[in-house]
Amino acid sequence: MKAPVSAAVQAVLSMAVLMTTQHAGAEQISKTQPADARGEVEIVNVAGSVEVSTWDRSEVQIDADLGSNVERLDFRKDGSRTYIKVVLPRMSSGGGAADLVVKIPRDSGLIVNTVSAEQIIKGVRGAQRLQAVSGGIETEFGPGDLELKTVSGSVIARGLDGKGLVRATTVSGDLEITKAGPELDLNTVTGDMNVTLDRLDRGRIKTTNGDLDLTTALGDDARLEAEAINGDLRFHLRGEIDAEFDIETFNGDIDNCFGPEPRRSREYGPGNELRFSQGKGGARVHIKTLNGTVMVCKR
Amino acid sequence: MSDQRHKDDPLSQMLASLPREVPPERDLWQGIQAEITKTPIVTDAAPVVHFASTRWFQIAAGLLLVLATSFTTFVVTRQSMEKDAAMQMAQQQQQQQQQVPMAAPPLNAMPASFGPEALGADYMKARSDLNQRFQERVKTLPPSTRAKLERNLADLRHAADEISKTLSENPSDPLLQDLLMSTYQRELQLLADVSEMPLSNPVRTDL
Repeated sequence: MKAPVSAAVQAVLSMAVLMTTQHAGAEQISKTQPADARGEVEIVNVAGSVEVSTWDRSEVQIDADLGSNVERLDFRKDGSRTYIKVVLPRMSSGGGAADLVVKIPRDSGLIVNTVSAEQIIKGVRGAQRLQAVSGGIETEFGPGDLELKTVSGSVIARGLDGKGLVRATTVSGDLEITKAGPELDLNTVTGDMNVTLDRLDRGRIKTTNGDLDLTTALGDDARLEAEAINGDLRFHLRGEIDAEFDIETFNGDIDNCFGPEPRRSREYGPGNELRFSQGKGGARVHIKTLNGTVMVCKR
Repeated sequence: MSDQRHKDDPLSQMLASLPREVPPERDLWQGIQAEITKTPIVTDAAPVVHFASTRWFQIAAGLLLVLATSFTTFVVTRQSMEKDAAMQMAQQQQQQQQQVPMAAPPLNAMPASFGPEALGADYMKARSDLNQRFQERVKTLPPSTRAKLERNLADLRHAADEISKTLSENPSDPLLQDLLMSTYQRELQLLADVSEMPLSNPVRTDL
C-alpha cells in the first residue's frame, strides 16, 4: 500500500518541479486602473492568449501571466484610451508569450493586435478592431462595428443584437459569423465563410477560392454584391423575397430554387447567366463568378 | 436705260455677233459609241459598288480608322508596359541573386493580354513596392504562416493569370474584365494588409 502512495507523491513532486522549471522567470501581474466608460482599450500581445470580457465598472483590470521572454507589460491610460502592451526584449526572437485576461467597460471600444495569440472576446458593445496573424479570433460584438483581419487564423463572430457593420478580411482563415448587423464586407482568399444574419441591407463579399454560405433575409432596399473566382457561393434567403437578381458565371453553374432557369450567355462557349425579378424587386443582388457555382434558394 | 447702253457698246455688239453653237471639227460620237459597246454590260445582278461614294464605305473607313488607332495605341502601350515589367523583373532577379533566395512566389510580369495598358506604370510600381514590403514582412512570420501566405498569394496570382488568359480569348467580356480587375485589387490588398500586420517582435516604445 505504501509503494503506490510513494509513487504518487513522487509523481506530484516531479510535476511540480517540472512546472517550476518551465515557469522560471515568469511573472504574474494583476492591476486595475480607471478608464472611460465609452473609451477605447488597445491590447498588443505577440503570442499566448488574450481574453477580454466586460463589466459595468469604469475600470480596466488585467491579470497577466508573462512568459520568461517577456520584458515587461505596459499598462497605462492616455486620455480616453487605455493601452496594454506586452513588450519583448529588443533582441528577442519573438517567442515571448503572455496570457492576458482583461476586463473592460461594457461600452468601451476595443483594439487587439496579436501575431500567434488566440483572442477570445465576450460582451463588448463598443466598436472592435481585431487583428491576428495566425491566431484565431472568437468574439461577441454589437452594436458597435466589428473589423477583423487575420491571415491564417479562423474567426468566429457572434452578434449580440444584430447591429453594427462587420468588415472581415482573412487570407486562409475561415469565417463564421452569426447574428451580425445588416451591413457586411467580407473578403477571403481561400477561407470559407459561413454567415447567418437576420437581415441584410448592404453586403459585399469577395473570395478567390473560398466557399460562401450566406443565410439571411433581404432588406427592402438591400444591395448585395458577391464575387468568387473558384469558390462556390450559396445563398439561403429567408422570408419574402423582393429582389432583382443579376447572376453571371463564366464557367460555373447556376442552381436556383425559384425564378426562371439560367441561360447560356455565349452561343459558342461556356457561361451562364440568370437575370430576373422576384416580388416587388426592391433589393438588388449581383453575383459573379469565374468557375464557382452559384446557388440561390429559399430557406 | 441700261440695256440700251449695252447694245451700243462695241464689245457687246461683237459678242452678239458670235455664233450660238460651234460644231466639232470632227464627229466624236461614233468613237464614244464604239468604246461603250466594248465595255461589258453591267446588270442589276452584279451591281457595281462605287465604294468611294457610298455612305457605308465612309462608315467602314471610319471604323477601320478607329480600330487601327486603338490597335496601335494598344500595341504601343503594351510594348511599353511589357518593357517596364521586364525591367522590374530584371531588377528583381538581380536583387534576388544578391540577396538570400526567397521562398515566396515570384512577382510575375503582368499578363500582356489585359491589364498593363489599363493599369499603367504607376500600378506596376505600387505593386512592386508593396511586394518588396511584403517579402520583408513575411520573413518575420512563423514558417507555417509564411507558407500559407505564400500559397494564398500564389493562388491569387494564379487566378489572375487564369482570368487574363481567358480574357485574351474573350477580350470584350465585361465579366472577365471585372473579375481580373478585382483580383488585381485583391492582390494589392493582400500585399498591403500583410505589410501592415503587427510584428512578431514589436518595436519597443516607451509609453
